[in-house]
Amino acid sequence: MSSTGTDIQPPPHVIEAARSPATASAFAGRMKVLPILEVALLIAASIAPLVLRDYITVYATRVLILCLFALSFDLVWGYAGILSLGQSLFFGMAGYGVALLSRDFGVGSIFAVLPAGTLIGFVAALLLAGFLLLGRHPSSVVFVSLGTMTGAYTADRLARGSHYLGGQNGIPSIQPMTIGSYQLSEGPGFYYLVLATLVLIYLLSRFLLRSQFGLALAGLRENEQRIAFFGYKVQHLKAIIFAISGAIAGTAGSLYAFHEGFVWTNMLGVVMSTQVVLYVLFGGSGTLIGAVIGTAIVEGLSFWLSDNYRDIWPIILGVLLLLVILFRPLGLISLVLGERERVGNFGPSLKEKRNAAP
Amino acid sequence: MDTLLIAAFEILSFGAIVVLVVLGLGIIASMMGIFNFAQGEFVLLGAYVTYLVHSVGLPVPLGMLAAPVAVGTLGFVLEKLVVRRFYAAPIVAMLGTYALGLIIREAVRGLTGGLYLSVPEPISGSITIGSLHFASWRGVIVVITLLVMAASHALLAYTSFGLRVRASLENPQLARASGISTGMIYSVTFAFGAALAGLAGALIVPVFSLFADLGIRFLIQGFVAVMVGGVGSFAGSVAGANVIGTFSAWLPWLMSPVIADVLVFVLAIIFIKFRPQGLVSGRGVNR
Repeated sequence: MSSTGTDIQPPPHVIEAARSPATASAFAGRMKVLPILEVALLIAASIAPLVLRDYITVYATRVLILCLFALSFDLVWGYAGILSLGQSLFFGMAGYGVALLSRDFGVGSIFAVLPAGTLIGFVAALLLAGFLLLGRHPSSVVFVSLGTMTGAYTADRLARGSHYLGGQNGIPSIQPMTIGSYQLSEGPGFYYLVLATLVLIYLLSRFLLRSQFGLALAGLRENEQRIAFFGYKVQHLKAIIFAISGAIAGTAGSLYAFHEGFVWTNMLGVVMSTQVVLYVLFGGSGTLIGAVIGTAIVEGLSFWLSDNYRDIWPIILGVLLLLVILFRPLGLISLVLGERERVGNFGPSLKEKRNAAP
Repeated sequence: MDTLLIAAFEILSFGAIVVLVVLGLGIIASMMGIFNFAQGEFVLLGAYVTYLVHSVGLPVPLGMLAAPVAVGTLGFVLEKLVVRRFYAAPIVAMLGTYALGLIIREAVRGLTGGLYLSVPEPISGSITIGSLHFASWRGVIVVITLLVMAASHALLAYTSFGLRVRASLENPQLARASGISTGMIYSVTFAFGAALAGLAGALIVPVFSLFADLGIRFLIQGFVAVMVGGVGSFAGSVAGANVIGTFSAWLPWLMSPVIADVLVFVLAIIFIKFRPQGLVSGRGVNR
């Protein structure tokens, strides 16, 4: 690499955003789309199990878990500009971890397995980030994406070859998750548990991204060098957000393992990693809600289409992805969301500032 | 001694395959700064074209000639339609070419019905030297690889076309001002890289048989090789391909194939981490 690290390109939406000249004051009078969208989706998701048939509720639960997973990728790519092509590594490792806990130790309590899965994802991501991102040479985006992709590929290969992990077949028939003495199986109960987790993590991420830390991340994404000159430890910021996203992927992975009742090697490998890239690009990276919408649309479409057009559905998906990248680099969310609002405000709101000033 | 020679030949022939796959990838990455994630699928497509020609009853070598032409043409068209929009943003290019690869892969999966299809070797049998037997086809692959490598280098280093390619790489504005159509140069370079991948796919399909995920493995291997060698130079790509090819062929003799496969990648990533400029840190084509 002749130009390692110094010429990292920001994601496309940043460039677009920088061009848009809208100012905060011009925007203040307009209505905000984002909160409306979020509340509408929350309401829709809350009443969905009441109106949907049971088998669709089960499918919807899976989609919500994947939304959580997509959120984790959006944090690293959309907010910190780290292209992690191996996000499934944390998802799958947590899945395998909790599956082993359940198989070998009979542990199925939600209060044990969810924290365990989250911790596995967090530690794995922290270690990988420590290797890929920290160090004397700043890492290029290509190196990080290649490194994460290799991580996922490696884990996939090893799991396939390992007798202990069940080889090709994975680990089947995991015990259901328990809350006290109550067994949580597929259906509305599990759905609301996942929804609650998703909402909680969504709100935490939202809070984190609107804090000073989020501001530093945004700066990093816009112009890494400048942030470094301001005295921020750029690599540390990246490692922190990477580890957080790993933890979220871990939570998603452990929920997924218990919901499906089994884990298999695809959860670890390149297949799952690319799936999540697809969700986020489709919906719109750099907005948390975009990741959720992208996942819901892609999975929803595949639910309808894969029955009738099983063979050509992956091709259609590829074509759609290409079209979105070419013509809507900000994802579908950019159809309704303005630039100014997508970038958002940081720190105390304008109103508070105005009140504070005499 | 005998097993050692056979091992050496195995390593050489597998190394040749990796070089062949990586060459096109390296040329596109070094000359144009685009990491083409569809390269593995170009290899797959080359293999598929060969299979297609074989399945309609025509001789296999004809398919092997048709493959680079067909894939090169497709590469040219794709560059004109899609890839050229990405030059300003290399990261988006990775995602865009990834989508292209997805389309090709799934199309081939649909066409082959997800089966493993085999194509016979055009030259079967083995060469016997003393008490040793070498598979002839693997020998042919080694020879063709050497020829292609030499021809590509000669093309880039000594012809006026190569000069224009290098000029467009070095300083696009100046090249345009000097009357070189950089747009056309980029299209042709991309097509050339794609054609090399198509040729690679055609040559290796008798060895590996045809299946939809053929490309993915070569994609990761190719990228690792390009980065180990050093992005930006022709010699770097070749050197990286040789190193990765040798290790990939040699390590399975020492340990289980799964561990060996994984170990090559992990070692390569560690190497790149501590020497990001790669084995050859120069730029362009050395004469």
